[in-house]
Formats: sequence, C-alpha cells, structure tokens
Amino acid sequence: MADRKAKLSTSKVNVKLTSDLGRISFVVGACMLGFVFLVFLISVFYTPYNPNMTDASNILKAPSFEHLFGTDHLGRDVLSRIMSASKYTIFVSFAGIAIALVLGMLMGLTAGYWGGIYDKAIMLLSNSIMCFPGILLALVAVAVFGSSMLNVVFALGIVFSPSFARVLRTGTIAISNREYILHAKILKVNPFRIMVVHILPNLLTALIPAVVIGLANMTLFESAMSFLGLGVQPPAASYGKMLSDAQSYVTTSPWLIVFPAFMLILYILGLYFISEGVRIRTSRGGTIE
Amino acid sequence: MRKFFKRFTSVLLIASLGLSLVACNGGKDKNGVDKNGYGGSVTVGITQEPKSFDPHMVVAAGDEEILFNIFEGLFKYDSTGTLQPCLATDYTVNEEATEYVFTIRDNVKFHNDQKMTMADVIYSYKRATGLLNEGDTALVAELDCVTDVFERDGKLVITLDQSNSEILTYFTTAIIPASVEDIGSTPIGTGPFVFDNYTVGVSVTLKRNDNYWQESLPYLDSVVFKILADMNSGDTEIRNGYIDIFPHYTMDKAELLPTESFNILTCPSNMVQIFALNSTFEPFSNPLVREAINYAIDRDALIQLSVDGAGVPLTTAMSPAMGDAYDTSIDGTYSQDIDYANELMEEAGYGDGFDVTITIPSEYLVSVDTTVALVDQLSSIGINATIEQTDWSTWLSDVYAGRNYEATVIFLTSNYSAYDVMSRYETSNSGNFINYSNPEYDEIIAQIPLTTDINERNEMYHELLAILVADNASCYIQDPLEVVAVSSELEGYQVYPMYVQDMSTVRYIASN
Amino acid sequence: MRENLKFILTKAVEFILTLLVVSFFTFAAFSILPGDTASVILGPEATPEQIDSLRQELGLDKPMVEQYLNWLAGTFSGNLGQSTAFNVPVSSLIAQRLPVTLGMCALALIIVIGVSYPMAILSSRKPFHLADQVFSIIGHIAFAIPPFVLSLLLILLFSNLFGYFAVGQYYAPTDNFGGYLNSLLLPSVCIAIPKIAMIFKFLRSSIITEKASDYIKTSKAHGLSDFSILIRHVLPNTNVSAITVVSIVLSDIIGGSLIVEQVFNLPGLGRLLLMGISRRDFPLLSGMVFYLALATVIIYFVADILNNLVDPRMRLK
Repeated sequence: MADRKAKLSTSKVNVKLTSDLGRISFVVGACMLGFVFLVFLISVFYTPYNPNMTDASNILKAPSFEHLFGTDHLGRDVLSRIMSASKYTIFVSFAGIAIALVLGMLMGLTAGYWGGIYDKAIMLLSNSIMCFPGILLALVAVAVFGSSMLNVVFALGIVFSPSFARVLRTGTIAISNREYILHAKILKVNPFRIMVVHILPNLLTALIPAVVIGLANMTLFESAMSFLGLGVQPPAASYGKMLSDAQSYVTTSPWLIVFPAFMLILYILGLYFISEGVRIRTSRGGTIE
Repeated sequence: MRKFFKRFTSVLLIASLGLSLVACNGGKDKNGVDKNGYGGSVTVGITQEPKSFDPHMVVAAGDEEILFNIFEGLFKYDSTGTLQPCLATDYTVNEEATEYVFTIRDNVKFHNDQKMTMADVIYSYKRATGLLNEGDTALVAELDCVTDVFERDGKLVITLDQSNSEILTYFTTAIIPASVEDIGSTPIGTGPFVFDNYTVGVSVTLKRNDNYWQESLPYLDSVVFKILADMNSGDTEIRNGYIDIFPHYTMDKAELLPTESFNILTCPSNMVQIFALNSTFEPFSNPLVREAINYAIDRDALIQLSVDGAGVPLTTAMSPAMGDAYDTSIDGTYSQDIDYANELMEEAGYGDGFDVTITIPSEYLVSVDTTVALVDQLSSIGINATIEQTDWSTWLSDVYAGRNYEATVIFLTSNYSAYDVMSRYETSNSGNFINYSNPEYDEIIAQIPLTTDINERNEMYHELLAILVADNASCYIQDPLEVVAVSSELEGYQVYPMYVQDMSTVRYIASN
Repeated sequence: MRENLKFILTKAVEFILTLLVVSFFTFAAFSILPGDTASVILGPEATPEQIDSLRQELGLDKPMVEQYLNWLAGTFSGNLGQSTAFNVPVSSLIAQRLPVTLGMCALALIIVIGVSYPMAILSSRKPFHLADQVFSIIGHIAFAIPPFVLSLLLILLFSNLFGYFAVGQYYAPTDNFGGYLNSLLLPSVCIAIPKIAMIFKFLRSSIITEKASDYIKTSKAHGLSDFSILIRHVLPNTNVSAITVVSIVLSDIIGGSLIVEQVFNLPGLGRLLLMGISRRDFPLLSGMVFYLALATVIIYFVADILNNLVDPRMRLK
C-alpha cells in the first residue's frame, strides 16, 4: 500500500514537471521569437545603414563600433542586412503558412466532413504530394516559374498543405459525429458554415503546434532555397543568401557566418520551443511526453 | 577497447608503409614523375560547364581554353599574345593581301593516328569558312571573306574577296580530320593532348599525345579539367589541394592561400568587363542616358569591390593592354560626377529615373558582385535596377545570341588582336549584342583590313575608340587581372593575355 | 493469414493509385510549361521546319494521353528520353550519379540508427535526469540547425582546423572504396544529425511509455536484468514505430542530400537536379522528380507491409 502511494506521488511529480517544462519551453521560445520580431519591427523604421549600400573602402571589416556586426565582401553593413533579412524570412514563412493553411483547410475539412469516395480522393491527392521530397517540389516550381518571392511563397504553400490537411481531416472525422454537428446537419445549415464555425474552433489545439512547426520548417526550406540561389535575388538579403555569400570567407571572416546563422537558428529554435510548450500543455499531464 | 585500438593503429602503420614502398617504384616520385619531369597528372578547376567541343562552333571562352590543348590551327598564339607558326611552317602573302600561301608541316599526326594531309587542311578551312557545301554559312564568322581554299604545288592557298591584313588571327582556326563525321562528340585534333572523356558536371579528361609533333612536349600524362559548382567550392578545393591549378581566381581569395604551397600568377587578361546597355531598349537608345550612366558609376570602387582592386579601369571597349592600338589620351574621360549625370538624365527626359532589369549569368561571382555594386551606384541617378540571374546557356541563347535583354554585365574575351576587339561593334557583326550602329564606324572598320601599314591602322583604331566614346556606345568597367593559383610543385605554367589554358609546358618539379 | 493477404492487397491498390497520381502530376507539370521542348533543344536559330521534324521525332505531335502513356512506359523501362542540356540519355546521367547519393543515404541511415538508439536508451533510463535533459536540449538545437549551416560549421571544424576528411574530393567506389567512404562521411553526418534528433525524441518517449507498462514491471519482478528486458521486450515493441520512422527518415534524406551535395561539391543526384533546374532540362527533371517520388512511394509501401507483418495490431489503426 505504501509502495503504491509512493508510485502515485512520483507520477504526480512527473506531471508537474512536464507542465513546468511546457511553460518553460513556451516562455523561452516566445523570448527567442520575440527577439527576431523586435529586430524586424525596428528594421521597418530604422537600419544603421542602407542594407544594399556598397562601400569600397570598408570591405570585410571585423565588428567595430562603426559596424557592430562587421561588413561583408562588398562593404555592406552586416547588421543592417541581418535586420532587413528578418523581413524576408518572416514574410515568406507566414505568407507561405497562410497559403498552406487555406489549402489544407479546403482539403482536410471537406474530406473529413463528407468522407466516402471524396475523402479517399483527397487523401490520395495529399499523399501523392507528400511523396515528392518537399524541397525538390519547391525548387522545381521556382525554377520553372521564375524565382520571385511570390513564387517561392506559393511553392512552399503547396508543399506544406498536405500536413495541415491530414491534421484537420482526422480532427473533423472525430468531431463530425458529435450531436451538435448532427443537429446542425439536420437543420440544413450550410456545410461550409458548419465546418468553419462549429468544427474548426475545436481543432485549434491540434492545429497550433502544427502551424508553429510548419513555420519553422518553412523557414528551413526558404533559407535552403536562397542558399542554393533559387530564393531571394541579389541584392536583397535573406539569412540563407547571406550564408551562401559568406561560404568562402568561413575561415577569414567568421562574423559573416556567425550572425546570420545565429538569427536563423534563433528563429527556428524559438518556434520549436513554442510548439513543444503548446504540445506539452495541451496534452495535459497523464503520460510523460 | 584499448586492445582494439592498438591493433587498429598497427594496421594503419603497415598500410601506410606499404603505400610509400609502392610510391618509390620505377624511378618515379609520388606524383608519378620521372627525373626529367615527365609524367604525372594535373587537375585544373573550371567553373563553366563545357557546351561544345566543336572547335569551329565554340562561342564560350571556357570551352576555348580547354580546346586550345586539343586542336591547333595554321598559327597558334604564344603567351605574349604573338602569333607563332604552328601547323603551317611559313606563309607568303601577295601585295594586295588577298592571297595567302602556306607551307604545311608534314610530320603531324592526328590523335586517331592518321597522318594530317593537305585534304584535311582544306576540309577544315572549307568547313570553317562555309565553302564545303552550297549555301553553308561560315562557322567562323570572320572567315566569311574567304572565297576559296585549294592546293597549289603542294602548298595551301587561301584567297579572300578583298585585301585583309587582319585575318592572320583567324588562321588559328583548328584543323580537324576530314574523316571524322561529328567532331563535337569525337574531338580529334593534333594538339599536345588527346580528348579522353567528358563526364557531365564532373570533369573533362585529356591524355598525353605521344605522337605530338613537338617531340619534347607535353610533360604531363594527363590533365583533368574538374567542373566546380561555383567559385566557393573551387576555393575549398584548392585550399585542400584537390586542384593544382585554379585560373580566373580572385585576388582577395588567392592572397589567403598558403604561400608555401601555391604560387599566384597574374597578367592583364585583355578581357573587357562591360555593363552592356541594349540600344534597342527604350531609355538606352538615348545617348544622353548612356552618357549619364558612364558618369554615374565609380569604376575604381567597382574594381575594389569585385576583384579586390586587381583590375584596370576602362574608358571604352579596348584594354590598354592592347599596346599601340590603344589611345591613352582617352583615359580618365569618365570620372564620377553624379551632379553632371543627373543633369544629363534631366536633359534626356528621365529626371525621375526609370526601371531596368540587368540579366546576368549566375555562375560568375565577380559579375554578380559587380552588378550588386552597380545597382547601388545607379540608384544615385534614379535608375531602379533589378537583377535577374540566369544560367550560362540561357544567357548565351537569350542575351548574347537572342539580344533579348535590357542590360547585362559580362566579360568579353577576344583574340589578342585589336581588330577582333573592335569588329564586334560593326553594325552587322554577330557579336554586336549591344546593337550598336554608326555608319561612320562601319566605314572605318571596313577599311582597316585593306590597310597594310600598321601605323595607319593604329590611327584608325584610335578614331574608332574616339567614336565609341563620343557615342557612349555602352558602359565599360574594367580589364581584370587574370589571377591564377598554381601549385608550387608545378612549373612552366604560362598565363596568357587571353582565355587559354596551355598545359603543354606545365610539368612537375622533379624531386628525385 | 487471410487478414494479412487482404491488408497487403488493399495497400497494393493504394500503392498503384498513388503511383499513377504521382506520375500524372509529374507529367502534367512538365507538359503545361511554357516553352516547347523541341525549340529549347534546337536553340533560337532553328527554322520552323527543323522544329516540326524534331517534334515528330520526339512524339510531341501526338495527343496528350498517348504522350503520357509513352512517357509512363518509358519510365518503367528506364527510357526517360534525351537530356536537352547534355544530349545524352537521362537514364545514363542518373546511373552515373546514383552511387554518390545512395552511398550517402546508406551511411547517413547507419549513423542515425547507430547514434539515436544508444542515446534514447541512455536517456530513458532515468527520464528528466541530467543525461536526459542534456540530450533533449542538444536534440532540439540539432533539429533547428539547417543542414547547410551544419555543413559549413563541420567543414570549418574538420577540414580547415584539423585537416581531416576530404572535402570536395570524390572517388568512384570502383576506383578507391576507402576514398569513396571517406568523401561521403562528413556529408552523411550533416544529413544524419537533424534526423538523429528526430528519432531520438521519438524513441525516447516510446521507450518510456513501454517501460511503464505492466508486463515490464512483471518481468522485473521475475528478476530479469534491465538489459535483457530492454532487448527482449521493450525494443521489439517499439520496433514497429521504428520501421515507420526509418521510412520517413529515408525519404527525408533523399531531399536533404540535395543541399549537402552542393556544399561538398559531390557529383550526386542533387547536383544533377540543380544543373537540370538551371538549364531548364525538362526531360531530366521530370525523370528525376518521378524517380525520387517513386522511391518514396516504395519506401512507404514497404514500411506499411513490414509494420503489418511485425505487428498485426497496426491494422486496427
């Protein structure tokens, strides 16, 4: 009996530990993300220098008071470029997720709601999209339609849509059988109204971690594409592009790698921590992780 | 665990001993080189994917520099930019410069072991000049003026439609065997190296030509032209010693290489970096706009930013490296003057500026860097330029051949001949991708080949240069120094003032 | 047994349908593109007659459906047509580069399994204690570092600082097998690290859940050692999910090798694909995209079947 009590208390400790961990994760992640957003907000109104201004007399200068993060091989101020790069990274990840979400909802909600052959067809479609290695699909799309920012966003949006479709479909199937949904169906409420007003809000807890992880993965994809020269076009800056430009100065001018890499990792890591926090807290105790 | 580790290290020791034993075999050192410096293999890094191995069809300079080792013409350039007799031992020309007679070298074998005959020479020049079949066009455009190629008393005769003193340069056109159907896929020539294989995206391998007519050459057993993804990976590779020679390098990076393992060679490259303004594009058809751009840019800054200062600023289409044909009095015509440039823009009716797209090939980092800096400088006179990157082959077909572009930044290469540089701007020239046209210019350039006196010809070049400057034909930036990193184990590498990788004289420094 | 057969049959039908959709997507995407293949091959100076005759030769004048069926038949017989950029059959280009990418995938998979299992086992011994916390944080960070940043950092560390490993030097496996492995090692590590983080996380929670189940406690009470419980009971029961994870990792690795090959200058499929992209070589691209997707479809299919054979409970899910 005493033994069982001890067991119970340890599992209580674990529950507390996990929810603490969830909160810590969330707060740490939010701080990281908040920092990147702060940089972005400031860059809208102010950058120390014009991020595209070249300066022949200031090539590859190490960090100093004049240029806090140093200058690159064209004498451009690295800090200003990092600031303006945050704009691109944030825009692409959020716009891309918005498109992926809309597409995912169109596929997932309807498939889960109507079911049957339609559901099978939609799932076949989304499974098929998932069979193409994501980065490959995005690269080919951008290569074919030209590497403008909008094309990058659309390509990434399509690549990411099936993952949302899956989450939403599973959730919709589970909720569709609830009584209030059945009532609404009998009252002949517009099915799209049912989906958006009655079903979607119930899926948010499952959707939010997926969205946050999606943002992180999209940032990874975008930076990889820029790194390969198929994302942002010069002279505009993105973290991936800055790292790609810095490749040959790895040993001699490490500040060109360190600062953009730091910001990129900070943004992605922040998103991961937030999603981890949200996931732990919404799974509400019980089993560990 | 410790036991395993010990055994592991002893195995390693034995293996490395074995290796060094093997390496000492046969009087050859670790590079496979004998005591006279013969043998060994050298890897040259290149950043352009080869496009054509047909010596008469080739347009890309990156292809030409490889083919220089495989094919030879009647003449061949040496490293000072002077023409030397090659497959022709000597020549005579009649007074009007309309008939050239060549004595052909007779102990020459093609790479397929066939002896080079007069029939091959005639076939090659007929092919290049478009005389093989009725209705053919000249594959080498500048040889269009050839009216006949034939044999007379065992000598080769080439006749021209009118006198031409500047045509010798084009007698470097390759001689190929008449028996080979598709020279592009089976490149067979007479050069010091034999084409071995080409693996797409990986490398072009050449082997030693054991039957080369210059008996003491070449030294190396094989040469590998390794195709690199870009300059960055080239940088990593040379640093790690996987390539022995890296031409078209940049000064800032070359300076960082360890001096004990690499020699850095430089030479004016006789290349012309042009910010090409397509005169059929609306704002650029206005000479005032072109002039404004010429005053708006800071060439010294561009040179500093793109090649770390290792370049000579250009006023116009010709590099000062061209000697007497260049007119030094035009130097410094365009020193940066933003106010004046803005006035010019106002006068041209573009006081508010305009948008322009600069299309550049993405492979060449120096061009990209120059363009980024250019975009920044152009913004000072209200020109809002955006950069569009394409791959090299798209650039060649759309921009260069198709002339479907607004502006571009590119390096123009040429033979070491003033005529080759200047003929590009003749209205009808196929290389006139900026669509420049001036009847006065056309008249003078047409006269040059007819003029036999060299001083008179140089005078005419000066006039042409003055016309280009007066018309602001385009915007010229720099002649970059050719920078080559060469492994210090090698000697005999010569930097040419043109796009050539001459591997025939390269050899390992004998270490035993 | 009949259950098994039925399951495999359903999966097979799904597999074939997915394959058809994937192939149709690939074909359609490259057919609706602006620009005519024939004029791309012939270049800007071709005459309309030349273009027409090449169109006939390539079968581009036939109806779409027939073109699609021909293309599909071609992909299965390994005949993907002629690359427009390099003028050689697409299949020979792919065959040339396959050893690099395959070798890298195999090495990366070995590294992933070899590292993530011990890490997860160690971590799950005492959940939330020091080793576990450290591993978890490292795992998070490793997951967040983009592969190209990792590549740059590793190049900096190993090649420049210590002079280990060959960066940019590639040997064909038939010429120098040691050199081949050596040239693929560092790139494989770069691909493996984020995947290690992923599998570690997955395995850890799966082992912890399993350990908490009653039968493990019973085994413990019977005096079985921790190690034999782990090998005999815990791991086999998480095994099922491991097959799934390995299949996901495998398909991810194919995509990941793209970037890493570029950084390390390896002549693999990834660089071929990038070359095809930059030259608008559509026959090459459509062939490669389809084959890579096909590989993924097959991996998922095989994983499904294996899962089912190993653990019949999966069918209920």
